[in-house]
Amino acid sequence: MNTPIKYEIVKRLLAAKDKPISGQQLADELQISRTAVWKYMKQLEEEGYEFEATRKKGYLLQKSPDTLDPSKIKALLETKRFGREIIYEESLTSTQTIAHQLAQEGALDGTLVICEEQTEGRGRLMREWKSQKGKGIWMSIIMRPDVAPYQAPQFTLVAAVALTYAIFDVTGVSPAIKWPNDLLINGMKCTGILTEMQADPDRVNAIIMGIGINVNHQQEDFGEEIASIATSLRISLGKEIDRAALVAKILYYMEAFSKQYVAEGFEKIKTLWEKNSCTIGNRIKATTLRETFIGKAVGITKDGVLQLLLDDGTIKEIISADIELEK
Amino acid sequence: MLKIQEIREIIKLVDASSIEEFVYEADEVKVKLKKNSGIVISNHTPEAPKPIETVQAAPAVEAPVAKAAPAVEKQEAKTVETASTESLHKIVSPMVGTFYQAPSPDAKPFVQVGDKIGEESIVCIVEAMKLFNEIEAEVKGEIVEILVTDGELVEYGQPLFLVKEN
Repeated sequence: MNTPIKYEIVKRLLAAKDKPISGQQLADELQISRTAVWKYMKQLEEEGYEFEATRKKGYLLQKSPDTLDPSKIKALLETKRFGREIIYEESLTSTQTIAHQLAQEGALDGTLVICEEQTEGRGRLMREWKSQKGKGIWMSIIMRPDVAPYQAPQFTLVAAVALTYAIFDVTGVSPAIKWPNDLLINGMKCTGILTEMQADPDRVNAIIMGIGINVNHQQEDFGEEIASIATSLRISLGKEIDRAALVAKILYYMEAFSKQYVAEGFEKIKTLWEKNSCTIGNRIKATTLRETFIGKAVGITKDGVLQLLLDDGTIKEIISADIELEK
Repeated sequence: MLKIQEIREIIKLVDASSIEEFVYEADEVKVKLKKNSGIVISNHTPEAPKPIETVQAAPAVEAPVAKAAPAVEKQEAKTVETASTESLHKIVSPMVGTFYQAPSPDAKPFVQVGDKIGEESIVCIVEAMKLFNEIEAEVKGEIVEILVTDGELVEYGQPLFLVKEN
C-alpha cells in the first residue's frame, strides 16, 4: 500500500522535532510542487494537526491529533516487516484472541492487530485488563522468529527493553522495568505485556505479543480499584501523546531488538534490561501458584530468570511469579 | 540415538514377526522390546560395549510350521495387538517452566484422566517469564495419566502426560 503523501509530510516533521523544515525542502523530497505541499498542510490542519509556520525557516509540527489511522501508522514506520500488515478495528474483544486466529490462518511475521477499545482485555492467568476507548494502545504483534520453544521466553524481556526505548524516544519519559516485563513510572504500572506462543515441540510457529499501554488516560479515567497502582504516560508528561507515533516506534524497536536477540543471543538485551530495571537490588515478594518468596533481587541469569537472595542466604531462581516491590 | 520414528518402525517389524523379545544396544542407548510387556527404553550406559545383537528368528511356539498350524498363527496376531496398545505416548514439555492444568486458577482443567484428545487438543499451559505456551497433544488418543501437578516446575523434555494412542 502506498503511503498518502500528507503522512509523509507528518513523518518528516515528526523526525525533525524542533527543527523547522521549509516548504521547498518538503516539495523537493516528495517531488511535488510547493502549492501541493501547501494543500496537504491544509488537509492535515483539518484533521487536527497544528503547525507553526515561520517565514524563511519553514514548518514546525506543534500538535498531532491522536488517531490510530493505519495509514498514518504505516507512514511513520521505519521497519521492514513489523506493522506492514495492520488489522485495525474500533472495538475488539481482545487483540490477543484475534491475533491467535490470524496466526493460525497464516498471518505474516510482524502483523499488527490494534484497536481503540477492548471489551475483554486480559492479562496473566486470564485476569482482566482495562482497555478504555481511545485512551491507550491495545495491540498484539504476531512474530514468527526461527527459534526453538525454549528460546522463546526471552522475547518477553526483549519486549520490555523495546518498549522502554520507544516510550523514551517519543515522550522523554523513562519507565522502569519490573521483572519480567511490566513498565512502571514512579512505581505505578503504565504498561503490561502478555505473550503467548503457538509451537510444535521443536519449533515456534508464532509468538503473539500482547501489549497494553496506558497512554492518554487522566487520573479520573482509572477506576477506584486500580487508581492507586496505575498511571499513564500523559499523567507523567503533562500533555497528550500521539499514539500512532508511539506505535510506529514500538514496532521499530521490537523488530530491531528481536532481530538482535535471534542473531546474537540474549547477552546484549540482558545488559539493556538490567540498565532499565527497577527490580535488581530491591527487596521483592514473588508469589507463585504454590508459594511466596521474599528476598532481595540480585540479578537475572543469562536466560533472564530472576535470582532472589532469600533471607537464609540461598539463591532462589524464579521462572514464573507475580512480583511486588517491597516498600 | 534412535529416533522415535525408528523405534516405531522396529516395533512394527517386531510386531509383524514371531519374535518374542528384541534388544538393541549401541553407544549409550539400550532398547528392549518384549511382547506382552510393552516397550522399555533405558538410557543407561551398558557396562561394556556389546555388538549389536542381530534379530534372530526365534519362533514363539516351537516346532509347528506355519502351514501345519494355522490356529497358532491367529493367536499370535492377537498378542501383537495388545502389545502395541500398551506402549504409551508421552507428551513432554518443550521448555522449562511452570505447569498449569487450567487457563486460570478458577477454571476447570484442560484435560483429565480418561479424556479423549485429538492432535490439536490443548492439554496444558507451560509458562516461563510470562510467556504462555499452550501445549497441544500432537497425538490422538486417551489421557491415561497426568504425571505432574498444577503449579509444578517442569524441565525441558520432562514427560507431562501418558496417552494411549488410537
